[in-house]
Amino acid sequence: MTSDTQITQMRDDGGAIAMAKGAPNEPLISKRDLTKMSLNLGSLGMEFSWTYYKQMNIAFALMVAKLLKKIYPDDEQKYNEAVERHLAFFNITVQFAPFVGGVALSMEERIAKGEIDAGSVNDVKAALMGPLSGIGDSIFLATLRVIAAAVGIALCQAGNAFGPIAFLLIYNIPGFWVRIWGAHKGYELGVGFLEQATKNGLMEKVLTAISIVGVMVVGAMSVSMFWATLPVEIGVGDNMTTLQEILDGIMPGILGLAAFWIYYWLLSKKVSPNWLIIWTMVIGVVGAFFGFLA
Amino acid sequence: MVMQAILIGLIGALGKFDYQLGTLYMFRPIVLCPLVGLVLGDVPTGLAIGASLELLFMGSISIGAYVPPDETVGSVLACAFAISLGQGTEAAIALAMPIAVLSLALSNIMNPIFPFFVDLCDTYALKGTMSGIYAVHWGIGIVGGCLKAFILCMGAYMLGVEAVQGILDWIPDFVLNGFGVAANILPAMGFAMLGRLVITPKLVPFYFLGFVIASYMGVPVLGVAIIAIFIGIEKFSLLDGGFAQESVALEGDDDDDF
Repeated sequence: MTSDTQITQMRDDGGAIAMAKGAPNEPLISKRDLTKMSLNLGSLGMEFSWTYYKQMNIAFALMVAKLLKKIYPDDEQKYNEAVERHLAFFNITVQFAPFVGGVALSMEERIAKGEIDAGSVNDVKAALMGPLSGIGDSIFLATLRVIAAAVGIALCQAGNAFGPIAFLLIYNIPGFWVRIWGAHKGYELGVGFLEQATKNGLMEKVLTAISIVGVMVVGAMSVSMFWATLPVEIGVGDNMTTLQEILDGIMPGILGLAAFWIYYWLLSKKVSPNWLIIWTMVIGVVGAFFGFLA
Repeated sequence: MVMQAILIGLIGALGKFDYQLGTLYMFRPIVLCPLVGLVLGDVPTGLAIGASLELLFMGSISIGAYVPPDETVGSVLACAFAISLGQGTEAAIALAMPIAVLSLALSNIMNPIFPFFVDLCDTYALKGTMSGIYAVHWGIGIVGGCLKAFILCMGAYMLGVEAVQGILDWIPDFVLNGFGVAANILPAMGFAMLGRLVITPKLVPFYFLGFVIASYMGVPVLGVAIIAIFIGIEKFSLLDGGFAQESVALEGDDDDDF
């Protein structure tokens, strides 16, 4: 992929100044265009028109449509085909959608020039979905959302109406930054970035580093997010204590730890989460009836 | 009553409209239940129920092929019923999950009609009628999301208060308590689902590290996350590559090559 590297290099080194003044490679799409794209109806509405069938395909096409018009300003036929091309199946952690949009647009510019095959843009999009969703879900769903919920829930339980607002701010401020930054970076780096990051192992490293954060947050939450207690009484008279107190003395949160791994094991055996919910309710009712759970 | 029912419906619709606003996670109980509390004149209970239901639905996120119960409709209605009937968090917890499952089942009935409209978009694109694609986008979102939630929340609230009172009176106390116990256990399932997403065999020690730091040292979750970020950066020497932080690592490697 020499040509990719060259283009990336040109954009990185030269920037807008070298390419201005009527140079043939003057970027069609400005930074402002990309910022707008990262916040347009399609970009924000990725999950609004979500279907099982092609998932985020409509929103993705709407996200890039305006800028595709800039790439194919005069050729109606080619523009229509490009929009249709971007109606292919698409799914990703929503905050990374503008990044993929940026990559797709940088490729479309080269498709317009006849440098690469039109089909390749959807191959690249498909190749980005897996790894970026892995990174994205780890950052946003498993880590940031959990931290935001922990803070928000604590405030709500104290009766503080700022709880929901804190939850939304903590979760969304980094998300919007990633959207805007991603649109710029995706366009700037183009498709070359993916190959390089994969080839030199950077992708793997970053993914693992992010996973460590996610895994440690999940571990920390296992302590405090299990509130059922075992009020079973042990001993007599002054020596009487409950099973719960003994367990807490050994290791605070040990029940959360146990419950986490039981569920983890059952899920890994492909037991449906909906069955686990039902069985947990049955166990809760039986436990409450006989008094060994509260 | 009718006015309140309409407002409850609108809160449900707002939850679904969140998917057009950038999936801000406004559709979660922690945001919607306090709004229900506001409409019904009891914000403190709304906040308390929101916190409990947020935990109950912690694992209710779509991972892989799993489509979770509809926590938006479930929590709006459960919260509205619990407040209207003067009941507390326990009643909301008992009601939320069954309602959420029913709402998901209704969505599944509507789903088969959408592929037709999705395919229609290809035709619109080739004809150059962008407005058609916009119309499908809004149509699927409004009809399949907002309108459905509006009708479900408003209708069930108008028709259901007495019926729900009857059901709650009929259910023995220990069953309601048991549902409460289950709601205190289910967050563990939510975290197990997140764990399935991020844990690989070589990362298991980090799970226990996070657990021990929180358990014995009492560090809050945010603190554990910050410690984890440093471990991640240090373990992979992400600082040595000439970039200052993890988040710019993706762009950084060009600089090394040239």
